[in-house]
Amino acid sequence: MRRALSIFRRSLFLKVFSLTAVVSMALIYLVGSTLYGRITGGIFDEKIASAISEGRAAIQYAEYRFTIAGLNTKADYGLLADEVVKSANVSAQESGREVVLINVRGVKVDGIPSVSTSNFLVPESVPEALRAKVRESLELEWQRGNLEYVNGKVIPGIYVGKIFEIPRAGKYEMYVAYDFVAQQSNIDLIGRSLWVTGFLLLALILLTASVILRMVIKPVQVAAEIAEALTTGDLKNRMNVKGEDEIARLGVAFNQMASTLAEQIARLENLSRVQQRFVSDVSHELRTPLTTIRMASDVIHAARTNFDPTVARSAELLLSQIDKFEHLLQDLLEVSRFDAEAAVLSLGRVDLSALVRRSVEDLSLLAEEKGTTLSLHGFEEAIYVDADSRRIERIIRNLITNAIDHSESRPVEVSIAANESAASVGVRDYGVGLSSQYWNRVFDRFWRADPSRSRIRGGTGLGLSIAKEDANLHGGEIRVWGELGKGAHFVLTLPKRSGERITSSPIIEIPTGSSI
Amino acid sequence: MTSIMVVDDDQDLAEMLGIVLNGVGMEVDLVSRGDEAVEVFKNSQPDLVLLDIMLPGTDGIEVCREIRKQSTRVPIVMLTAKSDTHDIVKGLEAGADDYMVKPFKPSELVARIRTRLRRVSGDINGTLTIGDLAIDIVEHTVARGGKEIPLTRLEFDLLVALAKEPGRVFTREALLGEVWGYRHSTDTRLVNVHIQRLRAKIEHDPENPTIISTVRGVGYKAGGSGARS
Repeated sequence: MRRALSIFRRSLFLKVFSLTAVVSMALIYLVGSTLYGRITGGIFDEKIASAISEGRAAIQYAEYRFTIAGLNTKADYGLLADEVVKSANVSAQESGREVVLINVRGVKVDGIPSVSTSNFLVPESVPEALRAKVRESLELEWQRGNLEYVNGKVIPGIYVGKIFEIPRAGKYEMYVAYDFVAQQSNIDLIGRSLWVTGFLLLALILLTASVILRMVIKPVQVAAEIAEALTTGDLKNRMNVKGEDEIARLGVAFNQMASTLAEQIARLENLSRVQQRFVSDVSHELRTPLTTIRMASDVIHAARTNFDPTVARSAELLLSQIDKFEHLLQDLLEVSRFDAEAAVLSLGRVDLSALVRRSVEDLSLLAEEKGTTLSLHGFEEAIYVDADSRRIERIIRNLITNAIDHSESRPVEVSIAANESAASVGVRDYGVGLSSQYWNRVFDRFWRADPSRSRIRGGTGLGLSIAKEDANLHGGEIRVWGELGKGAHFVLTLPKRSGERITSSPIIEIPTGSSI
Repeated sequence: MTSIMVVDDDQDLAEMLGIVLNGVGMEVDLVSRGDEAVEVFKNSQPDLVLLDIMLPGTDGIEVCREIRKQSTRVPIVMLTAKSDTHDIVKGLEAGADDYMVKPFKPSELVARIRTRLRRVSGDINGTLTIGDLAIDIVEHTVARGGKEIPLTRLEFDLLVALAKEPGRVFTREALLGEVWGYRHSTDTRLVNVHIQRLRAKIEHDPENPTIISTVRGVGYKAGGSGARS
């Protein structure tokens, strides 16, 4: 149901088509039923008028004959009544005519039966309301009602009735009934014709509507499809333009827009490619001279004991700055690779636990230099993940180095945990910390929480940014928590199987008991 | 005295390499053009080649291939400014044993050169057999049915490392330590490319290796009945 509704909402064709269908159906129904009402009304009115005039004549004639007969005291009322009733059959031309003669008091007088009817018409089929009216008035009265027969047949018709007095016999009601059989069959025919005409008309309207709609909507549909293709980056498709009408103008304008868009994108792509290419080339070009400088300074550094103290110190500074420069260059190159989307994963099955343990061992010397210690939690078991070990190692080293740098000589804890779908490594320090407003900014390139302290810290300022890119490349993420003076907690979470989604992180970055 | 041939178009770097290597008692031949390298190699028969990939004349990959045609034995270490997978794998496939990404520390370079020049497995003497291969460690030869199969030093080292302990599964990291002398490297490209090259030479059907088999998700081992690669 919801699906059908959504298809309906998405299709202009369906919308307009069904609206047309509903409106034309309503109109056809309205016109048809009005027409039907008018025609049937006319037919019945005519029949009623003729029934009334004929009935009046019949009743007057009967009354007249009874009155005449009344002058003759020996007249046979019974025979006359029978004749009057049977006159229904005599009138050949008005075949559906019946006569009912009822004594008002319901008694048999002078051979006239209390009730007599023609052709086994059930006397009770004379509407009670009409009888009441007839008894109260002296005029001719009429009413529509069914003609019911003893054999159960029921035919719609009209009753015309009047009360009159038969001399010496008392008051009698006489009714002449006419059926509507002929009229009804006419009306049925008209009704059927109206239905057929209505359906044909509807079909014709809908057919025309759908043809027109197709003509108008097809180009719009094509335009929509091409526009969708454009949004997904396929800039080659164009609309087919025919003629000079509004649709064609839409096509021309649309194609122009697509071309302009494609040109712009191509221009920008080229620009950024050139730029990335430049960064990459510069980095590469710098490497060869840097190698020479590095070796030269190493040679100088090795011989520094023979130098004057200031020269010796200079040699040391030179070497340490070259180290820094080298790191920066390496990181810049990595960043440019991410920017160019040229970073490629080389996946393998990696024991994350062993990898982190190894990194921690490597970095424990650095930790010692900074007066802190690294401790491990949860590393008893091997945890296998599909990952690029080089990148993961780089992330871990970046996170731990960052923690050591900000630890203020307090211990750094490294933890690991896994669930069915994901594995996490958490790096927690209890040092400077950072306030929540900076949680996301720590991954910005060259961003430092406190610019005045920046020079004391090691690192290139690109480490966390690269770590995040590396994690993203794996379909993983790095979450961060921190509070000023309470330290920070970085949690790397990776899917165990490449391409799978992480449902929940095995380590929560927010420490238990934290106010946030 | 160990002689090293350095092929690099950057004169200053080449000279600096000369200074550093001379400092540790190695003799250096400098060549600045790719198309001259093979000629110089034929004449001087160096113990090891340091080869820049980007060279005027013939490029480093091609030079590497040419030198390999001259000698299966000589270790070749590529020097490259690009650490992109593509170039390195191409170099390794052309026959290079190892590579160094610029900029490198002189001490690293010297250590790497020494690893490549060291005689392997000094503690084992005599011969090893694995499958239908006979490995003569003293003579540094591998033969099948008396017919010698020419292997590079590195391929020989790799084969010996595996054959020393048949059935033991070596992780790629372990092989990197054993054969290349890397302490912590996780660059498994080196292992993968050389295992492929080695298989191409010693296996009857390199597609279905029986002498060096892959243990999925772990690494390699000598001897068959392992999981197919």
